[in-house]
Amino acid sequence: MARVEMQSELDDLEASFQDAGTIVLRSIRGAVDALRTQDVELCDEVITFDDEIDERFMSIEKQVELVIARQAPVAGDLRLVLALLHSTLHLERVGDQCVTIAKLTKLASHLDTKRAVIESLVDMGERCVEMMRVALAAFGERDAERARGLHALDELVDRANRQVFGDVLGYVNDKDALEWGMRQLTVARCFERIGDNAVDIGEQTVFVVTGEFVEFTDASHDTPTP
Amino acid sequence: MSTELDVPPTNAEGDAAPEIEIDSRRMGELAGASASDVRSREAVFRIEELSVSYGTSLALHGTTLDIHRNAVTAFIGPSGCGKSTFIRCLNRMNDTIPDARVQGQVLYHGRDLYASNVDPVEVRRRIGMVFQKPNPFPKSIYDNIAFGPRMLGMKKDLGERVERVLRHAALWDEVKDRLKENALGLSGGQQQRLCIARAIAVEPDVILMDEPASALDPISTTRIEDLIHELKREYTIAIVTHNMQQAARVADMTAFFSVEVQDDGKARHGILVEYDLTTKIFTNPSDKRTEDYVTGRFG
Repeated sequence: MARVEMQSELDDLEASFQDAGTIVLRSIRGAVDALRTQDVELCDEVITFDDEIDERFMSIEKQVELVIARQAPVAGDLRLVLALLHSTLHLERVGDQCVTIAKLTKLASHLDTKRAVIESLVDMGERCVEMMRVALAAFGERDAERARGLHALDELVDRANRQVFGDVLGYVNDKDALEWGMRQLTVARCFERIGDNAVDIGEQTVFVVTGEFVEFTDASHDTPTP
Repeated sequence: MSTELDVPPTNAEGDAAPEIEIDSRRMGELAGASASDVRSREAVFRIEELSVSYGTSLALHGTTLDIHRNAVTAFIGPSGCGKSTFIRCLNRMNDTIPDARVQGQVLYHGRDLYASNVDPVEVRRRIGMVFQKPNPFPKSIYDNIAFGPRMLGMKKDLGERVERVLRHAALWDEVKDRLKENALGLSGGQQQRLCIARAIAVEPDVILMDEPASALDPISTTRIEDLIHELKREYTIAIVTHNMQQAARVADMTAFFSVEVQDDGKARHGILVEYDLTTKIFTNPSDKRTEDYVTGRFG
C-alpha cells in the first residue's frame, strides 16, 4: 500500500483523538461523582484537569494542520481529518461543561441539596457518559448506525433536563432552595450540552462514512432531520 | 471548401468567418456560473463508446462522456490508462498514427467529427492543442503567433491579433519589446505560454492540453494554471494531467481513467472509471478505484 507515511499520520491523529476522548470521559465521570457526593476537592480536580484537555485539543489541532499542509489529503482521508478536527473541538467543549458543573457544585455546596434533583442530575450525567462512550466507539468503528442512535439517547437526557426544570419551579417560595435550584438548572443545562456534543460527534461519524453531513436534529425544527 | 462542419469560405480580405458565433456576453455569464452548473451547459463534445486500438492492441475501451462548454475538464489516471489517447481523439491527432483505429462516436457540436468529408485541418483549427513539451517554431516570437493566421488567410489586423493573444496568454509584457527575437530564446514557461497564444491566435473553440505544465517549474506551472482559469471564460478546455492536485485546482469536471487487464491476463487497456464534478471526485468519489487513486493508495 502506498502513502504509508500519510496513513501513519492519520492513525496517530485518530489515536490522539480517542485518547482525548478517554480523558474527557474521566472528566464527565469526575463531575458526576463530585455532584453526587458534593465533594469539593473532587470539584477542584475536575477544574484543574481541564488544562490537560485543552492541551490535548491544541496538540490535535496542530497535528491536523501539519497533516493538511504536508499530505494534502483528499476524499475519505480529508473527511476523516475534518471530522477529527470538529470532533476534538466538541470534546474540548465537553471539558468546559464539566468545569462549569464542578464550579457550580462547589459554589452551591454550602446550601442544602434536594435529593430528587441530585438524582435527576446524576442520571443525566451517567447518560452523558454512556453517550460519549457510544460516540467515541462509533467513530472508531465507523459505525454510522450506532452513531445515529445517539439521537434517541439524547432525547432521554433532554427529558431529564425538563424534569429538573419542573422540580426547581416548585422551589419558588423557598429562597435557599430556589438559589440552589437555579444553580442546578445551569448544571442540567451543561449536561444537556454534553449530550448535544456527543450527538455532534455522531454526526461527524456519519459524515466520514457517507460523505454527507446531516444534522440528526436541528434546533430550529421540531422534528428530526430525516 | 465546404466540409461536414460547414466552414464558410474566406472573404476577399482573407478573414474567415467562424461558423459558430461566439457571444462574449454569454461567455461571461457562463464563466460566472458556479461549477455545479457546468453539467447543464451545452455539450461541446458528446463521446459515445469510444474505443481506440493501435494495430491489434486495444488502448482504450468503450468511453462515454460529455465535455461541456466553457468548462475545464481534466483527465487523470495512471500511466497507460489511455487518457492521452482519448484526448488526441478529440482533434483527430490519432489520424497521424498509421495503425490507429478509432471506433465509436465523437460528436462535436452535434456533428460527427470523423465523418468522411470532415477536414482534419479545420478540426485542428477549431480544436487546438498544446503539448507537454513546449514546441515553438524556430521563428521569431511574432511569427510564431502570426504563422497560423497567415496560413488560414486571417491577415487583417495581424499585429493587433498578435498583441491580443499574447496579452491573453499573459506573455505580452514580457516579450513586447523583443517580438523579433527567436522564440527559442524564451524560458520553458514562456515558450509554453507562447504555444497557448499560438493556439488561440486562430480563434479556436476548444483548447486541448496534454500535460501542459509537467515540464515546467512550479512557478511557471502556477502561471499556466492561472491562465487556464482565465481562458475558460472564452474557450472550452480539456487537460490531461498526471498531477492530481493540478486537476483539483483547475478543473470543473474530472474523468478518472484506469487500466484494466484483459481476459488473457496479460494485455491491458484503458477504461473510464468515473466522471463527475471535480469537487465530488476529490471529496467523495463513487468508485473505490477512484478513491484509491486520488488518495494515492493506488498501485
